[in-house]
Amino acid sequence: MTVLSNLAENISKNYMKCKNYLYTHYGENPGKMLVHTGVLGWILSSAAQVLAVVVNDKIPAKEKMFLIPQEFADAGVNILSFYLVTNSFTAVGNKLVKSGKLLTPKLKNFVEEQKIQDLGKVTTDISKNMSGDIRDHFMKFKGGVSIIASTLGSILSCNIITPVLRNQYAARKQKEILAMKDKNSSEPSVPGAVQKASKHFTIRPLSMADYQKLAYMKFSGNSTNMRI
Amino acid sequence: MVAKITSFITNSSVYRSIKAGGQKVQQAFYDVIPNKVITSEKWQKRIEWVNKEISTPENRLILGATALMSQPFIDAHNKSVDNDTRKVSVCRTLAKIIAGTFTGYFIRKGCIKAIDKWSKLPSSVDKAGNKIKLTKLNTLFSPSNALSDISNAFVQYKNALGTILALGVMTITNFVIDAPLTKFLTNKFVAAAGGVKHDGSK
Repeated sequence: MTVLSNLAENISKNYMKCKNYLYTHYGENPGKMLVHTGVLGWILSSAAQVLAVVVNDKIPAKEKMFLIPQEFADAGVNILSFYLVTNSFTAVGNKLVKSGKLLTPKLKNFVEEQKIQDLGKVTTDISKNMSGDIRDHFMKFKGGVSIIASTLGSILSCNIITPVLRNQYAARKQKEILAMKDKNSSEPSVPGAVQKASKHFTIRPLSMADYQKLAYMKFSGNSTNMRI
Repeated sequence: MVAKITSFITNSSVYRSIKAGGQKVQQAFYDVIPNKVITSEKWQKRIEWVNKEISTPENRLILGATALMSQPFIDAHNKSVDNDTRKVSVCRTLAKIIAGTFTGYFIRKGCIKAIDKWSKLPSSVDKAGNKIKLTKLNTLFSPSNALSDISNAFVQYKNALGTILALGVMTITNFVIDAPLTKFLTNKFVAAAGGVKHDGSK
């Protein structure tokens, strides 16, 4: 009984620590929260996709050996581009306010009163001696700038960089599949994508049918390549 | 042991010179940006509004709206595939964005509401201004270091926790709602776009 009550107490303590940690770390930095939950979202959706391939018994083991590393590579592109771009944007937004490069008239008065030198230097932190109303104003302003920056970063990474990179990656992979098919023409393992001309296989762009069959094999008939 | 190793690394001359180099590069970047004081009251209010009102559900909505404006065009200009594939690809992207944004927004909103309901503090009051009686359930997600439930930090905390919960929920709904909805919408869009010549999917 004592062991169980100790365990329960430990869990309860750690749970409270975890909540307090979230409150301290994300309460004052909503931009950081957007980046971290965004990365977590990408990780979970990528893990779900890998799992979908692993548990799909319609996909032969040979195909899985090809598809699983491909899913991991796809996840790597998504997560890395999201984190690098969005985190950089958020960090720049935060630094602009913290270093005093971007101010409101209220913050400018504070900076002048405190005689803070070196505005705009990366090592400058105008919030060091802030308290009360001015700190509240600073946190709200920094929070707003940080959210705007992280939203711009996630738009750039999710809607421009990632789709372009993924299209290029997918096109390269398609070419590799076609080349592989060409080599192993007698034993095709992935449907479509090759066209028989007498005894030879010739490479042509993927057709609609090929595309849907490949998508079916990859995503068990449904598209799960989605950001959650 | 770990503290000793960390202190050894951070005090080493190699670490210091790398840090100084990094700071120089950063500084060169920040020097390009001019110093700015936002004097416009309207813009100050807008930035404060963003801080108060925009969180992960709204962020997902913004991402969905901007995705609709960019991703279909990227797919439509993908020269590595044939015309039919390109058409299906655009339709599938549109369907994916609509389905993902729809579930992403509502599940995030719902989970944040649930966390809000179960994160009451001693200072919490109901709509009529009466103190809320604290129970095990309505304090399930309350942190012990929060003082006021109307502070911005507490609102952001509830948003963060709600979003983490939503992400867990969405790993399931991704298969249960998003995937079938995407498939349904893709077929509708392909049909509306005049279908495809070599449909071998049936």
